[in-house]
Amino acid sequence: MHGITRRKFLIGSAAGSASLLAASYVNFDAWASREKIQGEVKVTPTLCDACGNWCAIKVHTRGGRIWKAEGIPLAGNNRGRMCAKGHGFLHEVYNPDRIKSPLKRVGPNKFEPISWEQAYKEIGTKVRAISEKYGPGSLFWVSHPQANVQLTQRFMQALKSPNVFSHGSTCFMPRNIGWWLTVGQAKPSMDFENSRMIVLVGRNPAGGMNLGHLRSMTKGRDRGAKVVVIDPRYSEAASMANQWIRIRPGTDLALMLALANVMISEGIYQKEFVEEFTEGFDEFAEEVKKYTPEWAAEKTDVSKQTIVTLAHELAAAAPRAIIHRGYHGAMGTQYKNSLQLVRAVGCVTGLLGNFNQRGGMFFSPKPKLGALDKDAHPNPPRVPGPMADGTGDMERYPLVPRGQGMTQAIPELAIEGKLKAGFVYHTNPLRTVPNPARVIEGYKKLELLVGFDYVLSETASVCHYILPESFYLERDDVIYTNQSVKTKQVSIRQPTIKPMYDTKPLLEILSGMAEHLGIGQYFNFTLDEMNRASLKPVGVTLEQLRKEGVVDLGHEWKPGPPRFNTPSGKLEFVSSILRDYDLPAVPTWEEPLVSPDPKDPHSFRMIHGKQAYHTHTRTCNQPYLMAITTINDAARVWIHPDRAKALGLKDGECMTISSSVGSGRARCRISEGIHPDCIFVPSAYGVFSRHLTHAKKDGGQGGFGFGISYNDFLPTYFSPVLGHAMVNEIVVKVEKTYA
Amino acid sequence: MPRYGIAIDTTKCIGCHACRVACQNQNDLPVHEEFNRIVERERGVFPSFSKEFVPLQCNHCKDAPCERVCPTGATYTSDEGVVLVNTKTCVGCKYCIEACPYKMRTMDHGKGIVVKCRMCIELVREGGTPACVSTCPTQVRIFGDLDDPTSEISRFIAEHRAQPLRADLNTGPRIYYKRS
Repeated sequence: MHGITRRKFLIGSAAGSASLLAASYVNFDAWASREKIQGEVKVTPTLCDACGNWCAIKVHTRGGRIWKAEGIPLAGNNRGRMCAKGHGFLHEVYNPDRIKSPLKRVGPNKFEPISWEQAYKEIGTKVRAISEKYGPGSLFWVSHPQANVQLTQRFMQALKSPNVFSHGSTCFMPRNIGWWLTVGQAKPSMDFENSRMIVLVGRNPAGGMNLGHLRSMTKGRDRGAKVVVIDPRYSEAASMANQWIRIRPGTDLALMLALANVMISEGIYQKEFVEEFTEGFDEFAEEVKKYTPEWAAEKTDVSKQTIVTLAHELAAAAPRAIIHRGYHGAMGTQYKNSLQLVRAVGCVTGLLGNFNQRGGMFFSPKPKLGALDKDAHPNPPRVPGPMADGTGDMERYPLVPRGQGMTQAIPELAIEGKLKAGFVYHTNPLRTVPNPARVIEGYKKLELLVGFDYVLSETASVCHYILPESFYLERDDVIYTNQSVKTKQVSIRQPTIKPMYDTKPLLEILSGMAEHLGIGQYFNFTLDEMNRASLKPVGVTLEQLRKEGVVDLGHEWKPGPPRFNTPSGKLEFVSSILRDYDLPAVPTWEEPLVSPDPKDPHSFRMIHGKQAYHTHTRTCNQPYLMAITTINDAARVWIHPDRAKALGLKDGECMTISSSVGSGRARCRISEGIHPDCIFVPSAYGVFSRHLTHAKKDGGQGGFGFGISYNDFLPTYFSPVLGHAMVNEIVVKVEKTYA
Repeated sequence: MPRYGIAIDTTKCIGCHACRVACQNQNDLPVHEEFNRIVERERGVFPSFSKEFVPLQCNHCKDAPCERVCPTGATYTSDEGVVLVNTKTCVGCKYCIEACPYKMRTMDHGKGIVVKCRMCIELVREGGTPACVSTCPTQVRIFGDLDDPTSEISRFIAEHRAQPLRADLNTGPRIYYKRS
């Protein structure tokens, strides 16, 4: 059989019945894909795009076809490692359902290919007309913010619209604002490898993958650090931890306040650090007096002894003790009290005195990039005023940063008629924003919706125009600096293969549209020119960066006295900014917005989280990654055995889940690894675009109609201070499905 | 000549399946063929509940049952102790699939032959490590020379008394596990 090409095989099978018999066992697609592509192996360093972390990888091509990839050890962000998503997403470049040219919607779910020039012209004409009729404030851009956000900001600024949104209000916003208020920076880094105690509060870096964190946590653990996971669910991170503290969902804040209570009342905090580098300790100490371990035990369903022991262990390990800075979990947008929780974690970190200490938290050195020459390439004038959703409005949401906004406000504003035209880039709000019925209604109301997508996702399906950006393996991007952890690093994404279809990189698309929008003068440069200008001050040439992928600039972080970029210049137990806005300035207990009824056997809180092999819902149609879901039956919804028994459920049986806004069915996974108050939904599924069927080929599962999403059950919420979506504040009714 | 093996620390495994897909890419495997997989085991009742992810792959047995049953001699052990399949002489009879106590051989339906983990021998001979080892975010796997008492893997096995799975079958597996 060996060395037979597909053509020869076909000839052979036509010639003899024996071969025909063989042919009946062979799936021809599989056969074609199995033929070893021979040819020159080329290795190109670039950045992964399977999730928002942009790990530095080396992509191997063979005969001009993507083959495999591996991590670049130098990169601080992933330290030579690569996750399943990164490996699996490589195959998406050959997804037959990719959008192959600009598309124009000509009917419901009906698209026809058009030329780039036609797309630019028509979009330009329509945007101009809408901007003239309703004002530039009726235009918006929403994206998953990445290095390219510089370009999109520039584009919207040129169009005179302040409305640049990110997905942050459904993801990480309280985490960023909470740390910024407390220590003056949104994302402090963590020196896990030198730590003696690592605590994860509602954060699972083994599910929402962060390879750099995992790598250094493992190193710390190998050196004897104790890893403690505080989570309602026995998360993947818990399986490599020393202790799992099962907490009632939404009550992490109570536990943190009690830790502070124990440490202060027993005098086991880092007194010198508190005296020298913090502000407002006395007021904080007074406030936490009432948060005794007994009180917290009641709230959190964690025993008093466990809380006290944790406080003692943290204090004994301090300052080499870390509480993870959080991400989307409890410290992200999940609860009403998330902001208070982040503030409380920041304050406990202050008690541990670990800032800028070995084995503690620190601020990563970041390279300062250059900019284009302002005379030759003028910046568009800044657009004053708040965003359409009240972001930056001193009366409404003064703490939400411009450029983030509240993504779940877009459909509401569209329904109100305040937003009329928008651009959706690298995000899929129809699936990833709560309350899809409302989101669909809103997005459909827009007079113009332009999407950048590589497949017909839910959002792309309702766009008027789809402009396919070249895939991440086919394009250049803006210089990236987030590889910097302990040293300054710059990295770059570059093409590993030629674009397969009629697609273009973002800057080219923006320039094309700009011509027809009368803002061409702001886009009179190429990406290479921009990247060269960025690299100039750091002394790296574009050629060198292209060759190496990641360049380390040194300037290693060194422990020492910390400096905080807060108004007081210190770590603020009492936040002066919150006080200025008349908000609770000291971390205080705040009840979750909703809670399940303890007497009702059908009442649960619905929580969710990521799996290590899926990114949001965009990988739900990727066969290699969906195979992992299928083999492990991993789309099931977790439920505690006692609660399942009360509902008459056996493992794998179907449940009907309903809330005030939606209902759905899912099979259950009965596990001791979850708090009885809640059910856990993996967040990768529930795709409803009819165009996403690639994963179903060859008997696979995934894509359209597979699984459920927590967003289907979640009302549209805006938290009082930050307007975040409070995505775990769902009470659902769970019943056994009899049908 | 080295004698290669892998030590696996299941207490670090987070079940992320990076090893699975890295291996599939390295070996050009289609979606549903796998050379390694992860089994998830839950134990006990809260508060003494715990979970273990156990990565499985070919154990490259010294006295390999798959090699013994192969009628054409296609399965052989290389000088480095890696159990391989000669794709030219394999006839796809699947005796080896039945004989493998770990059930870690799979059928290549395209070519009609049996395929399996080769410890990425072509990478190893160039001085690299197998794809499943180098991609792992928590460094669950340690690859190295079992005959060299100073190698990382030998020291790891000695220090943690790592054991093969089903050592009682006396097949001399070369994958060692630290499970607690």
